[in-house]
Parts: sequence; structure tokens; C-alpha cells
Amino acid sequence: MAQIYEILITAFLVISGVFGFVGSYGLIKLDNPMSRLHAPTKATTLGVGGVLIASILYTLMSEGRLSMHELLITLFLLLTAPITANFIAKMHIHRHETPESLPKVGEDQSWATLAPEKHKPEAE
Amino acid sequence: MSLFLIASLPFLGAIFPALLIRAGRNASAASAGMVTLTALIGLLTNAPAVLRGEVVVARIDWMPGLGLNANFFLDGLGLLFAGLILGIGLLIILYARFYLSRKDPMGQFYTYLLLFQGAMVGIVLSDNILLLLIFWELTSLSSFLLIGFWKHLPEGRQGARMALLVTGSGGLAMIGGMLIIGNIVGSYDLTVILQHKELIQASPLYLPALLLILAGCFTKSAQFPFHFWLPHAMAAPTPVSAYLHSATMVKAGLFLMARMWPVLAGTDAWFYIVATTGLVTMVLGAVIALFKDDLKALLAYSTVSQLGLITMLLGFGTKAAATAAVFHIINHATFKCALFMSAGIIDHSAHTRDIKRLGGLIHLMPLTFTIVLVAALSMAGIPPFNGFLSKEMMLEETLSAVWQGSPYLVAALAVFGALFSVAYSFRYIGHVFLGKRRSDYPGEPHDPGPGLWLAPVFLTFLVVVIGLFPNAVVGPLVQVASGAVIGDGQPVVFYAKLWHGFIPALYMSVVAVVGGFVLLLMQRRLAPLWDAAPRPEAKVIFDALVGGFTSLSRRLSEALHDGALSRYAAIFMVFTLALAAYAYGTGAKGAPNREMLDLTIMPVIGWICLTGATVCVVAFHRNRFLALVLIGVVGLIIALAFNYLSAPDLALTQISVEVVTIILLLLALNFMPKNTPQESSTGRKLRDATLSIGAGLGAGGLIYALMGREFSQPSISEFHLENSYSGGGGTNVVNVILVDFRGFDTFGEIIVLGIAAIVIFAITEAVLASNVRGRLLNREPDMAQAGNPHPLMMVVATRVMMPIALMVAAYIFFRGHNAPGGGFIAGLIAAIAVVMQYMASGYEWAADRQRVYYHGIIGSGVLIAALTGMGSWFAGLPFLTSSFGYITIWPLEKFEWATAALFDLGVFLAVLGAVMLALESLARFAWQPGMDSEHPMEINPARDDADNHEKQEA
Repeated sequence: MAQIYEILITAFLVISGVFGFVGSYGLIKLDNPMSRLHAPTKATTLGVGGVLIASILYTLMSEGRLSMHELLITLFLLLTAPITANFIAKMHIHRHETPESLPKVGEDQSWATLAPEKHKPEAE
Repeated sequence: MSLFLIASLPFLGAIFPALLIRAGRNASAASAGMVTLTALIGLLTNAPAVLRGEVVVARIDWMPGLGLNANFFLDGLGLLFAGLILGIGLLIILYARFYLSRKDPMGQFYTYLLLFQGAMVGIVLSDNILLLLIFWELTSLSSFLLIGFWKHLPEGRQGARMALLVTGSGGLAMIGGMLIIGNIVGSYDLTVILQHKELIQASPLYLPALLLILAGCFTKSAQFPFHFWLPHAMAAPTPVSAYLHSATMVKAGLFLMARMWPVLAGTDAWFYIVATTGLVTMVLGAVIALFKDDLKALLAYSTVSQLGLITMLLGFGTKAAATAAVFHIINHATFKCALFMSAGIIDHSAHTRDIKRLGGLIHLMPLTFTIVLVAALSMAGIPPFNGFLSKEMMLEETLSAVWQGSPYLVAALAVFGALFSVAYSFRYIGHVFLGKRRSDYPGEPHDPGPGLWLAPVFLTFLVVVIGLFPNAVVGPLVQVASGAVIGDGQPVVFYAKLWHGFIPALYMSVVAVVGGFVLLLMQRRLAPLWDAAPRPEAKVIFDALVGGFTSLSRRLSEALHDGALSRYAAIFMVFTLALAAYAYGTGAKGAPNREMLDLTIMPVIGWICLTGATVCVVAFHRNRFLALVLIGVVGLIIALAFNYLSAPDLALTQISVEVVTIILLLLALNFMPKNTPQESSTGRKLRDATLSIGAGLGAGGLIYALMGREFSQPSISEFHLENSYSGGGGTNVVNVILVDFRGFDTFGEIIVLGIAAIVIFAITEAVLASNVRGRLLNREPDMAQAGNPHPLMMVVATRVMMPIALMVAAYIFFRGHNAPGGGFIAGLIAAIAVVMQYMASGYEWAADRQRVYYHGIIGSGVLIAALTGMGSWFAGLPFLTSSFGYITIWPLEKFEWATAALFDLGVFLAVLGAVMLALESLARFAWQPGMDSEHPMEINPARDDADNHEKQEA
């Protein structure tokens, strides 16, 4: 039984290490900011997630209880990482993009971040 | 009634008028009157004992280590003064109720008046000179509030400031004198000091002490050359003038001279300083008074003159003169108060106090005329009124005073002064009331209602009764009071009568009266000459002096303190380095006796991050956003280091403080240039680099040296570790230190924190109330603004996070006593939870949902902490003694119940409120109308569909 745990823990640690490395490497390697954004988000979600699962398994094995701290950390990560990425993307659009350089918005008015005038509710 | 209660009643009662003004002006005045009346009755219950010659005492050791004890005693002199203060105070309260107009904030007035009254009663009842000094300064402060009561008048403000500056600086001098006396005797108790006349007068420090104490007395009692503040204080409402300048404030100096008379008087120095000053003041005041056209100015200078008279009598140093001085204090209080009140009545109905525009008022204001007639004749020293009796005594005493060998100089000058005082008293009657009725009064002069005339009529009644039956009415009081002044234990014989026979004093009186009358007839012709005569203008000199000192201190402080942070840092660094160099050069240090730890990978990574970030801050500091990010890195590494070194409490605090600080800096950066311009010269850069490298190396070296060695003394940590659980009931020593061992410090700190936040709020209010507001509202941002400032994802996430973050705060709070956490950290976390909402959903959205004001949160925090601390009093233990126990409530497990947790709740609330108030205040600067949309989540398909639907229907 312990053998299985150990293999699982090791596997998760290795997976997270790989993702962490790929994420960091991608951050350096990729040339376009929007592409670069992809790399670290993988590292934070999958990479850290792997470590957390490994940690849960480890406590289960060594102390025989289910540790919930890691789930909490996962929750916070899942809440914050997308927002960080969202803000970095918005920042990039705001400073370096124009409506012409971005894909068409379809039936909407324009990209929210680029809206020259603040969107005001119709006062009628 | 206990003396404590008498002295504290006005202070305790001061809150009632301010609160009861909401129930109307009568309620406010009545509450002030009741407080004063209660104190007066309390005083009178002690009067029989004092009149028998006993001394009533009440003692509490307050700070025995400093010699500062709350000791009060009541002897004849104290009874006399306390009676005057409270009795006349009662009359003033009645008078002021009808004097102040509907526009004046009456609650405030009575509160100030009671505070002042309390301070005065405190002075006259104190047995401890340090306590007396505290009350002395309180009178300066509270009289400042009273004199400047009409804040809208520049004269009022200037007069108040002048009075505060003159009497306050005199008070400072007196502190020095009193401390010297206390040192000579070895006790700060007046009753002890008063028994050591020889010891004090033989001391080489007698003269400096005397000079310093007299500086305090002379400034307070408006003696030459400090007399100039008193006329300027006339800008106050008349009830204030009547109170301060007849019975209280200016009499405080006289009181103190009388109080210290037994130990200070009787020397040549005393005679020449005090008697001469008094004489000069008396003559000068009387002469100036005659040529003043403003009624209140006339009375002000007459007060100066009369105070000079009393000072001179005290200066003579003889027993009979001291008795006369005490008697004249009573008489002056009665007639001068009545005169001030009548001046107020005239001002009220005629709308002017200018004597040149008055005259003939006898036909319109017969009652006021009667009051003035009696009081002014008493001031002039005309029989059968009380002023005659004491003036007669004064003149008799001057005959026996020998000044530098000339026996008649003092007497002649006294007659000269008396002559002028007769003239100005007659002028008040003659030029204001007599003569033909005029048709050009600014107002419509008429006698007032009983509210205004009752008090002066009562006082004039006293003037007459004391004049006719002096021995029956005030004889015993004067006897015990002068007995207390003289202080040799011998009974004092006081026997005043109207007719003494043909003695020299009578001739002098006659000369003064006749001469005064003649002088009055010539006054109209002399006035132009007086106005044309060159003389120094006190206010101009005073303003120049104050201006000089102001510019001097401004130059000094601006050289050190010019608002440039780099300069403060440089001064601080130079000074610290100099101190450190001195310590290094003179101190000794032992050899290192601790082993070095092995280098592990974690600290190395931390060190590289830390130094890397620091170097980067220096390199990129011109880009302020980047610098902020780098500072954030430094902060996080420090938090990690705390954690690594087993200080989780500090790590938690560091992280939460870091977050709040960065948000604060971002708010500030909103208004600042985003780049630092290049301004420093090369030399300056070199200087700064030298200083910072020196300081950094010094600090690093010091820490290195310190950590390589064991403590030379046993550390206090052992005590904390041992007693944390047994004494404080908690296993988290850091938290137990905060809420228990050093609970009092924490209590002070949360108060300071609250004050700081409220000051930030107040400054914000002040700035936003000025014309800056317009500029802020029309401000154009210096950078292009992105659309969609409140993105959907962020808004949703923060709202989801809010309850979780609050839960974390609660968790950190509750476990704080035994595990890392506590009220301070929990407060910061809760604040961050709320700040998130402000950031994500916008200021307006968050402000709309704010139910409780942050001020209230701060206040309740401090109150909860204070009440918790006070709780231990009920168990008979000192403030903030904590207790704890364990209780079990089914179905919960057994848990600990500590008062420290309640205290921690106070800390939590104060921190939460303070952080939020500060951040919210700063955020308000950035607020512009229309900046926030009605809906923080601007893109909401459901809402858009509904809107479209509505449009289609319409």
C-alpha cells in the first residue's frame, strides 16, 4: 500500500515539476506577451496543483488523515490566478493594442478595455 | 462636602450645559447654575469650620514618586476666593443667559465657563504646588477659550492669543520658581512650605525663585509691564470680562502672592519688586483709564489700576496692609463685577460702548444708573460704600511705607493714582448718564429685564451693606482670610469704620476726590493732548516680538525640517552615525562566543532576492510603479524570512501590513508624477551614497556583532516564556505580550492609531472643504484611462472572497491567544477583505453598502479595550489585569475564556477602523462624479437584455 502511495506522490511531484519548468521556460522563450501569458498560468495551476495533491496524499499516508488545507490553497489559486492573468491581458490591450490590431468584436460595441468613453448606464 | 467634590464638580458638570443645550437655552443655563450652586453649597458647609479657624483638608497620594499628590486644603484665604469664584460665577451664569444672543452657542459658553471655574477653584484649594500649577495652566487654557469665544471677531482671536501667550509664559516661569521652592523645602505641599520661611529666605535661590513666581503672578494679574493683555481681552463677551477681570483670572496672581506671602514677603527684594510694581501699575492704569473712550477699556484699565493697588498692599509686607489687601479684594470683586455688567447692559441696549456717543442715559435707564452710581462711587472711594473703607486703609498704609529713604513718595503717588481713579469713576457716571438726553444713540437705550439687572443689583446691594456694616458682614471672613495670608498663627484684628476722625488718610481722600472732580472737568481738554503724546503701543511691540520669534523659529525649523524626506533621513543618519562612532570608539566588546550556522540553500535564495530587489530599487527608482513592485518583493522576502526564523506572528503581520501599505502607496501615486525627475547634483548624490552606505554597513556590522555573541544580561524573554501560560492563559507568547504583559502599551497604541486615522480624515475634510476640491473634481488624469475599470471576474471573485477572508480573520482572531494570530493581524485581514470590495467594485458601490462609520468602529474598539481593562477594578485588581478560565457549553468542546480576548477584540476593531478610515479618506481625493458606474459589473447580458426589452416596449 505504501508503495502505491509513494509512486503516486512521486508522480505528482514530477508532473508538477515538469509543468513548473515548462511554465518558467515558456515565460522566457515565447515572444508575444499574449502567448507568454499562457506559460505561467499553467505553472501556477497545474504545477502548484500537483504539489498540493502530493501533499494531501503524503498526509494521508503518514498521518492517516485527510488534509483540507491544500484544498483551500487550491481554491484561492483558482480564484486569483485567472484574475491576475485577466489583468495582465487587459493591461497589454490597454497599452499596446488598438481596435484595428484586435479581432473583431462581432455584435458588441467594442473591446471593454479599449472603450474610450466609460460605459455609462443610459440615464433616461 | 469633600473638597475633592467641590474642586471636581465644575469639571464633571461641564458636560451638562453642552448636552442640555438641545433642550433649550434655559436648560443649559440652569444646569450650569445648578452645578455651581451645588459646589457653592458644598463650600458653605465647610465655612463654619474654617471661620472657627480650622483648616479642612482632603488628601490622596496620586503620584507620590513625583511628589504630586491630590491634596486639597481650605483655609480662610481659600474660602474667600472659592466663595468669590463660585458666588460670582453663579451671578455670571444668570447674567450670561440673558446677555448672549440666540446666535451664540450657549452650551459651549457654559461648558468653557465651568471648566474655567473648576480650574480656578482648583488653584485656590490646592495644597500641592504641582497640582496648583496644573490648575494654573488650565485657567490659562480655559480663559483662552472664553476670551476667544466670539471666534468670528479678529480682536477676539488676537486678544485670546495674547492672553494665552502672556499668562501661559508667565505660568511656565512660575513652574520653575515653584520647583525651586519645592526643592529648597523638600516638599511640594503648600502647608509644609508655608512653615519654612527662614529656610527659604536664607537660601541663595530665594531671589531667582521669587522672580520666577512673581513673573507668573504679574502676568496673570496684569501688572506692569505685562498689563497690556487685559484690555485686549475685552474683546470677549461682557459676562466673560466681568467674571475673569473682577473675581477670578486676574485675581489668581493676587491669590498666589497672598498664598506665598508668609514665606516670600518681608524682605527688601519683595518690597521693592512687588510694592513698586503695584504702585506703578496703579498709577499708570488709572491715568490711561481716564482717557479711554470705550467703556470696557476704561473698566479694563481701572481693573489694572485696582490690581496694582492690591499688589502694592501685599508688597508692603505688613500685616495691616495684607488685611487691607484682602478686604479690597472682596470690595473690588463686588463693585467691578457690577460695573462690567452695567457696561454690558448699556452696550446691549444702546449698541455702543463709546462714551463720546453716550450721555444723558439717566433719563432712559434709571435703574442702570442707580447700579452704576453706587458701584462707581464705591470705586472712587466715596463713603458710605465699601470701596471707601478699603481705599482709606490703603492710603493709611502708604504713609508708613518708606521707599529708598523717602517717606512721602509712595503716599504721594498713591494719592495721585487715587485722584485719577476718582476721575475715571466720575467720568463713567457723568459722561455716560448725566447731561442732556441725546437723539443720536445707535440703539434705543432702555432698562433691561430682570435677567440682566438681578445680578448687578445684588452686587450693588453688597457694596452698600459691606460699606455700612463691614464688621458684621465680612469681618469674620476678612479675619480668617488675612490670618491665612499672614500665617503666623496670631489672630488678626479687623475693624473697619466709616469715620476715623481727622486722620491723614481722610485728608488724602479729600484731596483725591476734589482733585479727581477737577480733573474730570478738564478731561475733555486734556484728552487731545494725551492722544497726541507719543507713547509705546503695547500691541505693536508685542506683535513685533511674537513675529520675530515666529520667523526665528520658522527659519530654524525650516532649515532642519523643510518637508524633504531626504533631508530628514540625512540629518537622522548623520546623527546616528556620529553616535554610533562615539559608542564604537569608547565602548568595549567581547569576543564572539556563538557558533556560526551552516549556510543552507533557503536563506541564500532569500538573500539573493532581497539584495537583488534592493539594488533594483536603487537602479530603477525613477520609475515609481516599478519601484513599488520591487518594494513589494522586499516586503514579501522579509515576511518569508520571519516565517523561516520561526516568527509566524511577525510574518502574518508583515504580509498584511505590506498589502495595506502597497495599496496606500498606489492611492498616493495616483496624484503624483509617475517618474522621479533628475534633480540631484553629483555632489549631493555622492553625499547621499556615502551616508547610506555608511549607515547600511554600520547597521549590518552591528547586527553581525550582536548575533555572534550571547546576551551580556539575562534576557526578559525567559520571563515571558515562563509566565505566558500561567499568568496570561495563552501559549502564543507574542500575543500574550501584546494583550497582557504589555497590554497598557497596546492600549496606548490603538488610541494613537485611532487618532492618526481620525487626523487623516480631518485633513481630508479640510482639504476637500477648500478650493482644492474643485481642482480635484476637474482633474484630468495624467495617463490614458482604460475602459471597464471594474471587470466582471474581479468583482465576482472579490465578492466570493469576502466571506472567506472574514472567516480567515475570525479564525486568526480566535486562535490568536494560543497560536499565531491575534486581534491586530485579524484586523488587518478584515480590512483587506473590505478594501478588496472598494478596489473591485468601486468607491461609490462600497460606500453605498457601508452600514457603520469607521469612526464608530475605532471608538468602539478603544472603548471595549478600556472597559475590559476597567473590569479588573471590580475584582480589586489593577487596570488591565487579565483573567481566564475554561468553560464547557454542550455540544462544544471545553474552551478557554479569557478577558484578554475581549481586549483583543478592541484591538481588532481599532485596527480595522483605523486602516479603513485612512484608506477611505485617501480614496476620497480621487473620487470624481460619474467615475463609478451604477453597476460595477458593467457587462451583464441579463441586464442588457432587460434594458433592450424595456426599450422595445417603450
